[in-house]
Amino acid sequence: MRHAALATVAAVVVGWPWAAPRYFVFLASLIAINAIVAIGLNLLSGYTNQLSFGHAGFLAIGAYAAAILTIRAPALPVPATLLLAGLVTAAVGLALGVPCLRLEGLYLAMATLAFGFVVVEAILNLEWLTRGNDGLRVPAARIGPWILATDTARYYLVVAVAALLIVAAVNLSRTKTGRALLAVRESEIAAQASGVNLAAYKTLAFVVSAFYTGVAGGLFALVVGFLSPDSFDVFLSVDFVAMIIVGGLGSILGSVVGAAVITALNDSLAGFQNYRPLIFGAILVTSMLFMPGGIASALRKIPGAGARPPR
Amino acid sequence: MTGQALVHVVVSGLATGSIYALMAISLVIIYNATRTLNFAQGEMLMISTFVGWTAWQVLHAPLVVALAVAVVAAALLGFVLERVVIRHAISATHFDVLIITLGLSLMLRSAAGVTWTHDEFPFPSFFSNRPVVAGPIRVAPISLGIIGASLALMVALGALFRWTRLGRAMRAVAQNQRAARLMGISVERVYSSSWIIASVVGAVAGVLIAPVIFLSSKMGLVAINGFTAAVLGGFGSMPGAVVGGMLLGVLENLAPLYLPASIKHSVPFLVMITILIVRPGGLLGRVARRKV
Repeated sequence: MRHAALATVAAVVVGWPWAAPRYFVFLASLIAINAIVAIGLNLLSGYTNQLSFGHAGFLAIGAYAAAILTIRAPALPVPATLLLAGLVTAAVGLALGVPCLRLEGLYLAMATLAFGFVVVEAILNLEWLTRGNDGLRVPAARIGPWILATDTARYYLVVAVAALLIVAAVNLSRTKTGRALLAVRESEIAAQASGVNLAAYKTLAFVVSAFYTGVAGGLFALVVGFLSPDSFDVFLSVDFVAMIIVGGLGSILGSVVGAAVITALNDSLAGFQNYRPLIFGAILVTSMLFMPGGIASALRKIPGAGARPPR
Repeated sequence: MTGQALVHVVVSGLATGSIYALMAISLVIIYNATRTLNFAQGEMLMISTFVGWTAWQVLHAPLVVALAVAVVAAALLGFVLERVVIRHAISATHFDVLIITLGLSLMLRSAAGVTWTHDEFPFPSFFSNRPVVAGPIRVAPISLGIIGASLALMVALGALFRWTRLGRAMRAVAQNQRAARLMGISVERVYSSSWIIASVVGAVAGVLIAPVIFLSSKMGLVAINGFTAAVLGGFGSMPGAVVGGMLLGVLENLAPLYLPASIKHSVPFLVMITILIVRPGGLLGRVARRKV
């Protein structure tokens, strides 16, 4: 049952560029990118209960790091670029995560929110590096002899990276580390009493989350091809939070589903900019009031539909 | 920089600062009652100010009417939001309620955009904008008016908390909800009143600040500075909120004089990150020790 479902999903994902129009290939790439961010955010918020409203800032750092690397070092193969983008972002995540250990709940939410604003201001002001408000055009990246010039090529790159990171996250959630993170969410005091090193695991969650988001940022730069500071405003961070809320906190599958739902919704509401936040707000409020476990927990109630409940 | 100009900068900083202080107070009122941060505070301010402005436009009435309508609208909005949405999440975690108020803020802002467009509108003021020169000092009456009106409101709130039954009940709930309930205080009523009072304070702040920053669907962002002010002073403490607000307003106005001008918009965030890292309890607050 599960293998069949998995195989079907894989077949659809691989065959998608041949079946769907070009724009939907691009959209699918965006969904995969957002899924990576959502997993990263979920590892932080869903697993260790550290709410972040600053993930657009991490995404921006990863995106600009990858873009600047592609421009300054065109010979660098894409995987190396993405890895470096992830590592740079992870380093920033470490720098932010350590002082944030002292904060919890809404203080952390506000500190990360402030972080997101500061990143955008920094991009605006570091014009020699980021070209500020003019925006940065990202050249086509290359892997060895291939140039990733088409939407389809970029789609396969994004999907491959996303698949890798999803498998890694699922595996992580089943290790001692994953269990420790979940224990931190359930009760910090109980986790500490059971020998979980609170500071170490909370920092680790921050770093891993930033790494995921940084890699996603690198992919974002390659897929969209143009970066400007206003693409990374606080509302993007809110979108990411909405993804994990709608999908389900503490669930990898939920992150992916949430990313797909929110991204597709965002896209279909593009013509109704005025009503978009209204609908988004309503989704947040109603899903919190009536479906706090998200889609993932709703799915779990269907017998035989997969993952064991972490919540 | 001359002393005269410096006075001008500091006084206008205190004026914006008193608005931040009012926002901080309204955030703290709700926090003390329900232990949640109300992300929609700024949008509630914005909606009430818009309603007051519309009444003023339609009725061609004096500005006092706009203020009165804004206050009534705010009270109603606070009451309805608490009753219809927040009350249902009474057993939810802080995390969940935070997300709910975030959703509300998105909805309110969007609704305002649909009703009044996202443009900026000039807003009339009780006070003149033209600086008055008094000897060596040069100040704008509007700054003094904002400071005076805010201080008056703060004193009124202080009296409310200190001497009325409701105020005592609110302080009791802030200290210990269970004990307050056992003493016969209706905690639900305190929730309800807290939302109403916070919303009304926001409406007054909105009518005071709208002439300076213009009336627009974006003006709710002032609540972020209100949060910074509350954190700076020590979240949960009323005097802290006032001191933090004033200090932040002055800092924000002084920073561009000594640092690159583009830093002005980052000041609240840099202040917030710094204070959270260096002294999370704020200037006047204490860090709550967690007991096992």
